[in-house]
Parts: sequence; structure tokens; C-alpha cells
Amino acid sequence: MKPETWCEKYRASCFADVRGQDLAIERVKLFLRQFPAKRALILHGPPGVGKTSLAYALASEMDLEVFELNASDLRDKEKIEQILGPASMQRSLFKQGKIILVDEVDGISTRDRGGLPELLGIMEITSFPMLITANDIWQKKFNLLRTKSELVQLKELDYKTILDVLKNISIKEGCQINNDVLVSIAIRSRGDIRAAINDLQTLATTKDELIVKDLGERNKELSIFNALQHIFKTAKLDTKMVDIFDDVNMDIDEIFLWVEENIPLEYKGEELAKAFDALAKADVFKGRIYRQQHWRFMVYEYFFLGAGVAGAKKFNKTGWTTYRKPTRILKIWLQNQRAEKKKSICQKYALYSHIGSRQAMREFMLLKIIFNNPKIRDELRLTEDEIAYLDKGI
Amino acid sequence: MNAQFSGSEVWTEKYRPKKFEEVVGQEEVVKRVKSLVNSINIPHLLFAGPAGTGKSTLALIVVRELFGASWRENYLELNASDERGIDVIRQKVKDFARTKALGNVPFKVIFLDEADALTREAQQALRRTMENYTSTCRFVLSCNYSSKILDPIQSRCVVFRFKLLEKKDIKIIVDRIAAGEGLTITPDGFSALYEASEGDCRRVINLLQATSSISLNITPDLLNTIVSQAKPSDIRIVLDYALAGDFQSSRDKLLDIMLKESISGQDVIKAIQKDIWNLPIENEIKVKLAEKVGEVEFRLVEGSDEFIQLEALLASFILAGQGK
Repeated sequence: MKPETWCEKYRASCFADVRGQDLAIERVKLFLRQFPAKRALILHGPPGVGKTSLAYALASEMDLEVFELNASDLRDKEKIEQILGPASMQRSLFKQGKIILVDEVDGISTRDRGGLPELLGIMEITSFPMLITANDIWQKKFNLLRTKSELVQLKELDYKTILDVLKNISIKEGCQINNDVLVSIAIRSRGDIRAAINDLQTLATTKDELIVKDLGERNKELSIFNALQHIFKTAKLDTKMVDIFDDVNMDIDEIFLWVEENIPLEYKGEELAKAFDALAKADVFKGRIYRQQHWRFMVYEYFFLGAGVAGAKKFNKTGWTTYRKPTRILKIWLQNQRAEKKKSICQKYALYSHIGSRQAMREFMLLKIIFNNPKIRDELRLTEDEIAYLDKGI
Repeated sequence: MNAQFSGSEVWTEKYRPKKFEEVVGQEEVVKRVKSLVNSINIPHLLFAGPAGTGKSTLALIVVRELFGASWRENYLELNASDERGIDVIRQKVKDFARTKALGNVPFKVIFLDEADALTREAQQALRRTMENYTSTCRFVLSCNYSSKILDPIQSRCVVFRFKLLEKKDIKIIVDRIAAGEGLTITPDGFSALYEASEGDCRRVINLLQATSSISLNITPDLLNTIVSQAKPSDIRIVLDYALAGDFQSSRDKLLDIMLKESISGQDVIKAIQKDIWNLPIENEIKVKLAEKVGEVEFRLVEGSDEFIQLEALLASFILAGQGK
């Protein structure tokens, strides 16, 4: 049997299969009836809510042929002209009509070799309806595209809808999975039905319920990634940014480290300075919470950490950034391991020569030379480990 | 660390004066402390002055004079910057003061080094402790700046101010050691040594011992080699990276220096503050940066995260590097 992801296998083929988007379905139907009042319709919403599925369901209900273009095709002006140009003029041989589907328009570039202007040009002349899907249509580069198109927003799915789908699939696939596990997959997916189905498939193939824990771990990172992406990529402040890290299942101190580590990956120059300024202010409020035991300050801590860092830029960031795990704590830990010996040597010396051990640490570079003398090593009763540390010359 | 003191290979110990007569410099202070000790019933003492001018040495001489051979049993040495908080200090004082002094002196002596490292609150607590044990203990406090010690504590102590050692005093000490260890030191070798020491006697002796581990013939070149080897890394590198726009290297280097050389955030900010005026940027920008540096120092004193605050500062140095 051909390996097939369950996401593909159970992709909606008619409106009835598209879950939880009734309003959107009505508006898409209306758009088709009124065509060409508007020549394009943008389906936008978070990942995995059914944008592409809705487009295909529409095609099959209305008996239309789908002509699909993905983001990488759109980046190439020539290719668009070659394919989309003629395609939009020709009539399908087998079906009455066609729709042109431009999937994931977010990936389109404003600069390099066009793409967006070309798409806009084709919209002017197309004789077939265009469906465009996008995660974030409010980016500045889409201003013109937005005004020329019908906008339909797809809502995030609630966990009950997702749970329903998961149950259906697990019955059809004949896998016996505990209801609690299904519920937790549904909740963890945070409205992303694709992620939920993927998780279900992973679980069913490995037959190992322990993996639910791992899935949890992945989701934890996924959510910090999502939060970082939202903060770092979007220029327009929204209410979500104010408490975005509230929804990240992670200790606030750890979130600080994530933001700190990744600011330089996204921001340069003035943006960098502004973002760190916001981070530093969040840190100031964090300190005030501890000192004053005034927990309301946490509002400001979260505000600066989210909206403050996001507001450092004027324009949206495009492209994909692979965020890095924080390394600072690891470095500190490693260094402390190494510094353990230095510390104990300094303590012995400090006691011996009537100074503070901090003072001895500060003088260590000079003292190290003196400690080369074996008699002094005996005198200070240095251990073999400590002597080895000195001899390594770190 | 018992009676082998005189036989120590660590020169700061080997050549540490054991009697008032052996102390070089600080003539006034020595004379007055000596007369107090002769009267047996000494008050609390406060020794104020720069590092390496003889404060600990004099405290040790005081207890040797008072208690003779049994000085160790009657003497407690604490370092305020090492002890974890005033409560630890109070507990140690309490334990120590519980037993009566041996011999014919009716009190024990507690030496609290770097007392100016204590916060105001800790000093208040220290003041009460001093009062509680005044019948059984005498305190000798040492600090770099007496202005950092609370007035009520100062008023309970006799204050002695130690001066930086003069070049001629250092010469006497160096000659003493050279004779004992068979070193030859050229006049410009000595000058280089004195320059590098900044009048800190501990540093003089440590530099001398480190240098002599390579050759018994102390020349300026050899000495400068040791000095540069022992110099802590320059925070300037961090700033240069930032001014050149390389934030990642700048912060990596900063973390590296802070960790490897046990430098606190406040030490870093001090170094940056001193260096601002030497940076190759416009004066107006220097003023702006100085304000930022001041704000960061304030936040660090308040207890903010050292690294995050310093990173934010480095980010403004990036802008300064672009002339903004």
C-alpha cells in the first residue's frame, strides 16, 4: 500500500467534510455567484484550519478543475506568465470551469523577481475565479492585494471539533486509542487540525502511549516557536502580543532566555537596540516583582517581553527563521564546573593569606604563576584535581 | 597553617611583619595603635585605606602582641564580601564569643575585613552585634573607604587611616626580600615593579615572586611580561565588536570574560564607564551613552539580570557605532 499521510487521506472532499467553517463556506459560495464582481478571494487564518481543504471542497462541489500554484512558482515571473497566463484564458476540456488556487501566498517575495506584481496583473484579466490562501494577510506588502480581493477569515477550530475528527479517523483506521489521549491531542493542537491528525497518526503507528509525553514536549517548543515568530515577524501590534507568552507553557525565566537568544537573529541596528531596551525593561519589572512582592507588575513584564519586543520594528519580517535554543545557562553551567577548582584553590589561598576569596579570584592570573611552585602547592594542601587544573593552564 | 608561617613559601606570608617594629611606613598609625595595645584594654578599631597598605598585617600584630602564643584561639578573621549575609557573620561571632578569652586579656578579637562590602542594613545589624558582645569581644574593622561605614559604627571605633606606601617604603620591603631570596633587581627593574604595583604592597610582593619563578634576575622586560600575562582581559574588545556592528561576537565575548575571570556585572559597567571617553565616537554620543551606562548601573544595583541589562547596553553601542 502506498504510504499516505492521514492528513491527505482524510482531506475534505465536500463542504460537509469541512469542519467548523460554515460561515466561511457561505461566503465562498456567494463569491462564486457574484464573480466577476471581485476576481479573487483570500482565505486567511492560522495554519491547519482548512483553507486549502475548503478550496478543494468548493471545486468538487461545483465541479471545477483546480489549477494550483504554490509560493515557489509565484516567485518566478516567467513561470507565472507561462502557466498562469494561458491557463487563465483557456477553458478546461473536461470540466465546465476552473478555479486558480494560489496556495500560501505568505511565501511570496516583494523583492527579488516580482511575483506579487505579476499576480496582481493576472487578477485584472483572469476569466476564472482565483482563490488565495494566506496565514497573515495583514502584512503591508499585501495592501493592494487586499483591496482588490474578497476577504474570508477562517476561524481557529475549537478542540471539540478536532476531537470529533480524531474520533472518526481512529474508528476508520481501527486504532484503539484511549479517549483521554485523544482529548489531550485535541487540546494540545491549539486549533491546528493538521497537527492533531499528524500526532494521531504518529501515535497509532508507534503504538506507544508514552509518546504522548513527547508530543507534549514538541508542542511546548512549537508554541514558543509560534510565539517568537509572531513577535518577531509582525510589525503591527495586536492584542495577542500583550500576553502571548502567557499561553506558552514554559517558565517565564526560560522565555526570557529564548527571547534574548533570538533577538539578534531577527533584528539589526536600531531595531536591535529597541528590542533589547524592551527586554531590559521587562527584566526591571521582573526584579521589582521579587523585591516589592507586587505581583501586578507582571502585566508590564509580559507587555515589554511581548509587545515591547515586537514593536521594535517598523515593517514585517519575511522569510523563515530557525530559532535557537538558549545557550547562556549551559555556558554558565559549564564554566561553573570548570571554575569549581579555581574557586576551591582561591578559598584555600585566601584563608592562608588573610584576604577575601573574591579578592583571590580577581588576582588569580598572577597567583597562578606563583602556584607553579610545588612547595607552595604542598603548603596550601592542594588536591590532585586542583593541581591538574593548574597544570592544564586554563 | 600553624607554626610554619615563618617558613612559608608564599612571600606575602613569609615577609609579613610580626612586630610593630618591622612595619614599614604608616608610622603615625603604628605608633598610636601600639600605645593602645600597651594599655591592654583596646577599643574597637576601624582601619581605613587602600588595598595592600598593611591593615590586616597590623590587625595580626595587635593580636600577637595581646595574646602571645595563644593568639589563634582568641582571634576570628571574617571577610564581609565572602560571608553569605550578615546572619552568617552574626552566628559566627556568637559561636566565637560564647567562650571566654584565655590568658589575662579579658576579651577576644574579631577582625572583619572589607566591612564596606556590607549593606546599610547589614551594618545596622553589625552595630547591634558589636554592642551585644562588647564586654567579651573587640572588633577590628577594615575597609577601603570609611565613608561607606555607618556613622554610628564609626563613632564606636577609633579610626585609623592608612596611606598608600611611598616609593621609598616599597624599596625597603623589596630590598628585604631580594636579600632573603638572592634576587638581583636593577634600578629600572624596581621602577617598573613600583609602577605596576600602584603602591599596593601585596601586589608588589606577588609580582616579585611570580617574576622570580622565571629568573632571579628581575629586569623591566621580564616584569612587564608577567604583568601583561596577569592582566585581566580588556572589556574594550567587547565594545570594539559592538561599535563595529558585530553584536553576536560582542555578547559572546562579554559572557566569556565575565565567566572565565569571575567579573561581576558591576565591575564590567565600571570598566565601560571609564572607557567611554576613549572611544572613537562623537562627543554628543558619548554623553548619550554615559546616561545609558548610568541607568544600567542603577538597575544592576537594584538587582536586575546583569547579562540582559549589559546586552541592552551593547545594543546601544551598536547604534553609537553607526553614529546614532
